[in-house]
Amino acid sequence: MNPSKSTLRKYSGLLVAFFRASAMADLEYRLNIVMKVFTDIIWYVAQLSVFEVLFKHTNSISGWTLESMRVFMSVLFLVDAFWMLIFQENLDRFSDKVRRGDLDMVLAKPVNAQFMMSVQKMSTPYLVNVVLTFAWMIYSLTELPGGFEAARLLTLLISVPCGLAIAYGLRFVFSATALIFARAENIVYVWYQLYRLAMRPDTVYPPWLRYLVLTLLPVGFIASVPTQLILGLQTLSFLALAILVAAIVLWLSTLYWRFAMRFYSSASS
Amino acid sequence: MIQPFITGLIEVALWSAIFTSTGLMSMNGFPRESYLAYALWAAFFSRIGSNWMYEFRMIDEIETGSVNSVLARPISFYEYYLGQFMGYKLITSVLSLIAPILIVAVISGPTKLERLPLAFSLVMYYLIFVHTMSFIVASFAFYFNRVSSFTMAKNIGLWMLSGELFPLDLAPEPFRGWLLAMPFCNAVYRPVGYLTGRLEIGSIVDGFVSSTLGLVVIAPIAVMIWKGGRRRYAGTGA
Repeated sequence: MNPSKSTLRKYSGLLVAFFRASAMADLEYRLNIVMKVFTDIIWYVAQLSVFEVLFKHTNSISGWTLESMRVFMSVLFLVDAFWMLIFQENLDRFSDKVRRGDLDMVLAKPVNAQFMMSVQKMSTPYLVNVVLTFAWMIYSLTELPGGFEAARLLTLLISVPCGLAIAYGLRFVFSATALIFARAENIVYVWYQLYRLAMRPDTVYPPWLRYLVLTLLPVGFIASVPTQLILGLQTLSFLALAILVAAIVLWLSTLYWRFAMRFYSSASS
Repeated sequence: MIQPFITGLIEVALWSAIFTSTGLMSMNGFPRESYLAYALWAAFFSRIGSNWMYEFRMIDEIETGSVNSVLARPISFYEYYLGQFMGYKLITSVLSLIAPILIVAVISGPTKLERLPLAFSLVMYYLIFVHTMSFIVASFAFYFNRVSSFTMAKNIGLWMLSGELFPLDLAPEPFRGWLLAMPFCNAVYRPVGYLTGRLEIGSIVDGFVSSTLGLVVIAPIAVMIWKGGRRRYAGTGA
């Protein structure tokens, strides 16, 4: 068998196994599942309420109407739901795993350690959020006054994974800093603030900040660019750019991981 | 220190874009600068008015059984954590005041700094209500295996109702009336509104009254849940 094909098969199998094990663990606490989904619904309502209220006082914000802003929020929620499902729990516990020596166990396994540290524990309750946010996105698109080109939805198949990859790569760098400084929880709070920049369309920001969120800190690709692609506000060349940026961010995250691993001297380092 | 700066920056960008793209000079009777100042102070006050760290600690104490060491002391679990929580909030708030004061000075936002002590007092009083809510959530750890998601749900709910996202007077009726009648707006909307000149002293008095009424309502619930939990507790971790 082709070595790259067998590697792909091995890692796909691992992903499925992780998902199954996580689902079994999550199902032990069913009330917790309900509360997690409920909490996120409150968060969605809170985020939507900002623009619902603002658009009571204006018809447009930097070229965005209420209907197009709803699409933007739905794409943001969709990416966020995937993020919570796959990466959130792993990267939130990254620092603890380093401190307690769990990383030693991961390094001893015959798989890529970055992969294991990033996806070993999935938060399966968020599968519900993926369904809910996707339904909300379809509803938002059907509410657009001029309709939308259904074919443009296909761009999501590439732009959403790219947005997710960019979010992962950036967040991973913050988490991997725990290898250099044993306690890096507060650095992660900086990431949460940077992520807030992704929660508004990039056109809202002043030119210098807009340039920043599309280049050095490419959080604009998480939701803003995918939304503009669906709405036809950006050319398809931005899709190619999203792929390129995602590839660069992932590559840099791996480089940083290797660099940070040099500082790791086993448990409690 | 960095958090309020970035949050403030984002909110200022959003409000600037709203005013720039619409060409409005004012909204709901207040000028652009008023909204910019509100956004900055809201980011600051919102951090004071929430409780994550101590609530997680309280939950952890009950889940692991280390609450026993607190129960053996001549101070109640509620008071023990109230003291720590209020002290922590007082010190960190005073230290991080520099961020909003600096930014407001740069953007020349309307802020009546002489009103800061009273606005701050309202938030500190509201923190007793916040702590009591945290005590209720932590007490649920006697009944359930995992209650961290309760903390998430409660804190996001409080954040949504506090007025950080937008000044609550922009909300349409009847929501506006409901939001202002509840004590949760004492975390952000009332103190920031008073500080930036949107509100007058009567609103602060209303804030103290609503926080007190809120406490009167939730304190018996807290006592009931705590006592019920203690009866179930075997002393080896919940």
